[in-house]
Amino acid sequence: MKMAALCNDFGDLVQIKKQLISVISLCKERGLLHSAKWASELAFSLEPLSKEDLPPAAPFTEDDAQDLDALTLAKSYFDLKEYDRAAYFLKGCCSQKAYFLYMYSRYLSGEKKKDDETVDSLGPLEKGQVRNEALRELRVELSKKHSAGELDSFTLYLYGVVLRKLDLLKEAVKVFVEAIHALPLHWGAWLELSNLVTNIEMLKSLSLPDCWIKDFFMAHMYTELQMIKEALQKYQNLIEAGFSKSTYIISQIAVAHHNFRDIDQALALFNELREQDPYRIDNMDTFSNLLYVRSMKPELSYLAHNLVEIDKYRVETCCVIGNYYSLRSQHEKAALYFQRALKLNPRCLGAWTLMGHEYMEMKNTSAAIQAYRHAIEVNKRDYRAWYGLGQTYEILKMPFYCLYYYRKAHQLRPSDSRMLVALGESYEKLSQQVEAKKCYWRAYSVGDVEKMALLKLAKLHEQLNESDDAAQCYMRYIQDIFSCGEQLEHAEVSTALRYMGQYYFKNKLYNEASICAQRCCDYNDAREEGKALLRQISQVRDQIETPSADLFAPLSNNNTPVRRVSPLNLISFTP
Amino acid sequence: MASVHESLYFNPMMTNGVVHANVFGIKDWVTPYKISVLALLYEMTATKTPLPERRRLNKLILPLQQGPDLTLGQFLKIVEECCPQTADAVKLRLHEMADGELKDMEYFFSTLPTPFTAFDSEAYKTSVVGLFMRHMLLAYNKLSFSQVYKLYKSLQQYYHNDSDMDLTSTEDTVGDRMDKEELDVPLHESELRLVSRGPLSQKQAEYFLARQAYLLKNDENKALKPAALQEELNNMLKFNPDFAEAHYLNYLNSMRVQDIFLSAHSLLHYFDRLILSGNEGKSNGDEGYGRSLRYAALNLASLHCRFGHYQQADLALQEAIRIAQESNDHVCLQHCLSWLYTLEQMKGSDSTVLTEDSVKMAAHFCLPYLASLGIQSLVQQGATQGKTAHKLMDALKDTDILHWKQSLSELIEISLAQTTSIWRMYGKSTMALQQAQLLLNMSSLEPVNFGVHQNNTEAFAVALCHLAELHAEQGLYGATSEIFQHLKEQFPPHTQHAKLWMLCDLKIQFERHMNERKYHLAEPLVKAISALNKTEGLYRKAQVLKALGRSTEAYNILQRLQVHCEKTKCTEIIIRVMLSTSELHWESSGFSTALPLLLQALTLARQHHLQSLVSESILHLAFTQLMLGVPERALSVLHEAMEPVLAHGAVVDKGRTMLLAARCQLAVAGFRPNGQALAVDTLNEAAVYFTKLNCKERLRDVHYLQAQLHRSLGQTLQSNKSAMLFRLLDQELQSPAPPVSMQL
Repeated sequence: MKMAALCNDFGDLVQIKKQLISVISLCKERGLLHSAKWASELAFSLEPLSKEDLPPAAPFTEDDAQDLDALTLAKSYFDLKEYDRAAYFLKGCCSQKAYFLYMYSRYLSGEKKKDDETVDSLGPLEKGQVRNEALRELRVELSKKHSAGELDSFTLYLYGVVLRKLDLLKEAVKVFVEAIHALPLHWGAWLELSNLVTNIEMLKSLSLPDCWIKDFFMAHMYTELQMIKEALQKYQNLIEAGFSKSTYIISQIAVAHHNFRDIDQALALFNELREQDPYRIDNMDTFSNLLYVRSMKPELSYLAHNLVEIDKYRVETCCVIGNYYSLRSQHEKAALYFQRALKLNPRCLGAWTLMGHEYMEMKNTSAAIQAYRHAIEVNKRDYRAWYGLGQTYEILKMPFYCLYYYRKAHQLRPSDSRMLVALGESYEKLSQQVEAKKCYWRAYSVGDVEKMALLKLAKLHEQLNESDDAAQCYMRYIQDIFSCGEQLEHAEVSTALRYMGQYYFKNKLYNEASICAQRCCDYNDAREEGKALLRQISQVRDQIETPSADLFAPLSNNNTPVRRVSPLNLISFTP
Repeated sequence: MASVHESLYFNPMMTNGVVHANVFGIKDWVTPYKISVLALLYEMTATKTPLPERRRLNKLILPLQQGPDLTLGQFLKIVEECCPQTADAVKLRLHEMADGELKDMEYFFSTLPTPFTAFDSEAYKTSVVGLFMRHMLLAYNKLSFSQVYKLYKSLQQYYHNDSDMDLTSTEDTVGDRMDKEELDVPLHESELRLVSRGPLSQKQAEYFLARQAYLLKNDENKALKPAALQEELNNMLKFNPDFAEAHYLNYLNSMRVQDIFLSAHSLLHYFDRLILSGNEGKSNGDEGYGRSLRYAALNLASLHCRFGHYQQADLALQEAIRIAQESNDHVCLQHCLSWLYTLEQMKGSDSTVLTEDSVKMAAHFCLPYLASLGIQSLVQQGATQGKTAHKLMDALKDTDILHWKQSLSELIEISLAQTTSIWRMYGKSTMALQQAQLLLNMSSLEPVNFGVHQNNTEAFAVALCHLAELHAEQGLYGATSEIFQHLKEQFPPHTQHAKLWMLCDLKIQFERHMNERKYHLAEPLVKAISALNKTEGLYRKAQVLKALGRSTEAYNILQRLQVHCEKTKCTEIIIRVMLSTSELHWESSGFSTALPLLLQALTLARQHHLQSLVSESILHLAFTQLMLGVPERALSVLHEAMEPVLAHGAVVDKGRTMLLAARCQLAVAGFRPNGQALAVDTLNEAAVYFTKLNCKERLRDVHYLQAQLHRSLGQTLQSNKSAMLFRLLDQELQSPAPPVSMQL
């Protein structure tokens, strides 16, 4: 039912393409480059239109004609970043287009000046004041026009941006929603809105126009809010609806998979993306993260060199190089490149966190703490930074102190097992076994990535002499390890087998015990013990079998506890 | 689009990707306001002003230098109040600069007296003024071309904004007024504030933080309101997120409003920042960095302690102790130890051994503060455990010597408050009164900072509460309510120590209603008391139930209470519970069953030197004996309590003692007129006490006895008079009198 509706929405791809083409020209005329780029990318992914289908140019009004010369002149100044000059020549123009460009150049001029002035502002604390002037004037003018209802969609968007810069967030949300209603195709407005939406309740409460672009927005929001499954579903729908060639969607899906820690899938998608769009730099830092996690040195090296050739002064490039050096264990150089990325854009969140990681590798905990703190300042919802802070304090042997940070991280990613395992470990160090057990169990039930939770839980039970629970956990652990197929480095199957052998032996399940003991012999560190156990078993069996075995066999079975673990069929597993 | 915005957040204070608050070592910089201050200083050095005006101006200098930037109007107004001529001169000078050209400003800076040459003037380089001038000159000389121009522009704006304002005499700057007229939508509040108040320079920010922190500690009422302070801090952190101290103040502020979430967040944030700065200081190197880690854990422990999360606090404390041990930091360990025994005490377990250890170690490491804090804690524990008075007093006296030597004024106050409490506990009201007065009348020993005497501490709250109770005991309810009024002002309900006086107030009201037999008024108070102190609330509930005649329920509660108090070693309540239980026994005429209980109570009270409770027990004992028919014994027992009660007891106790004495005397005398005459005097005295308290129920009993007595003595006139008084009271009270014999 839902699918059908969606297909209906997207049924007329030709119509969508037409809309896109017209909005591209609108954005271009107004110097909104990023929105134009987004729309163009999307338009490119759709089938080309025939000549008749091409949308007619936007209607030309009397006002437009009057302002044409001034507008053309101003636009060329604007393109050359001479904003004041552009604004000067646009003053007094009456068409909407000219008015937007006029206000927009004033805004950008203010921003540019602020940027310049921060460099030689009178003091560090004065930074905040520098930007005020242009913004306040703009706000006054725009709000007058706004209440008179004279703003078109683009000026509304600009008004929203001004409000956001003045930290008037509630009003900004209202205005952006208005702007979106006026022209749903303007992606920039959606994007600005997405920055202001902090939680799902707020997202649900917004009244947004029912347009095909809303699905893009919702998918983007779901990714931002870490609701990966919903996001992937949305993107899948979009692909099925005919956007399968869009590089934007592919990259977003890849990022979503990355957030979901579905590394293979994400890698495949990124490779596909690079084939389609070899000179793309956006999102390549995420790609490099994935390569890093998989330790794919040659691929990462190739990517780094490739990106440097394209543009070495991009944040993403610096991050990729940082990752590359980090993988080669040259942490000083890695930190240097992350610093360079931050110089290019101090609000680049990933770089702060990654730099924190590098400092951690260099055992410079205090610098790491500061880097993580900066990351948090840029974005409070960065779970990696919180997690990193937790790790730092854990290294400093402050398990109680790091609880706070791990808890924060867990709050942001409730279904990420790593935080839960970290929490569990801290609790264990504080001898809070009950909490630790809860954490490990929860980590296991949300899908343990590192397959460590069960083992830790089992060991904890073992420590507390809860042998039945311990055995159950070991059993699950063994099943888990064998069923996932691949060989994990830290797997402690031998420990589990050893314990299981002993457990069965104590409970007089000699058959199972001997199976376990035999499997123990496959591992170097448990071989001796396995053999010893086998000997013990045969001894006991001899003792039992010398009297009449038939009498005692059923009895010995009855002796086993009720919550006994079902004997496992180890033969079927191939290590 | 988004990324275009993002890239504009360039931060010049950043090198190698790390933001430094102070790369250039700029602590202060030139603003138009600072120029006006400079102009003022210049005028003051250049011209001769008459002495009184000069003095007033001198007093002004420091606040002007340290305070936040003012608008020109405010600034000139302040100066004008001191010396109109100087204000005019300053204004003229600013006018010259603002209406002239850039070179006028440059000229002004070049004519400033250089602190290095002017040896005999106030602007010598080491003076406060000289230092300020040097700062300003240095900051001015460091400005680049565009910065100088910008400064001049802002000076012009500063001057003109203000001179326009004079015409309209509104508080806002011109820009604001324009906005307000043009805008239908009201300007956002924070935006307005931002305009009216510029960002602070680091010096100003430091001053602001220091002042607010001091006020929070010493006189919370004078500090900014929590919300306002929060806004200021947010503002400050927005301009400079690296100002770590602001986070700490944020933590303190959140503690005021009991916001665990925000306070924990700010505390950790502060220490995250501090850890870095500690590392940067090369002088203390790695040591400094580890140090802040330890104290971070310790502070976290204290935070959880404040919010009553004892288990969490314990864990944090263990951690602090472990790291401190690893790095051999004895001082930190000592702090941990003193927190440890505090925590144990809060949890209600015995921590004497720990405390003793702490005192010994602190003395060994020459930490007088911690040592005497430990001793004070020991004294407190000793007092509840029944150590003899002279030992406690000796200990306190020894620590007092230490305090005076080291001038630990905070501890002196605590010590005095503690002495007050101890005397009160022992039932020596006069001594308690004297100690409380001593504390309250002592002029503060702290240097008076920011015009605030340190009188917002727990010690003062405790002393004032005792004072209130002492007055209430003497029936001086007017004085009591005045004290509470003061307490309410000093410790508003949301503050940390407010619970002390709230409980005290409730108790006094409760007692009063009970004495006046207005049980329906006393009953709702029980709930309020329980909210503040469970044990106390339970005890009061039992009392109300007993008075209302619901004996079974009262008995159950008392039994529960006794078990609980024996566990927590709350001797005072145990004795009270025993006395109340014995009163319940009386109601069922079980006088002989009450006796062992009373004797037990008496022993316990004697053991702990609780004089007032000893007297109370004796009173009960005597009454029981009277009821058992041995008035002679009762009278002799009573004589033992008479003296302390008359010397230290509450008025109601005095009255009760006299009434009981009279009844004993009557019983002993039989029909001998000699004894009866004695009883007449005693009764008269009792009547005086009860009248003072307006305790009509008991007064009625007294009149009844008086009437009887006079009649048996044949004094018909007096007898009739007493009878009439009795009748009047009886009509007024309208409730049937309980049998006289059943009540103490």
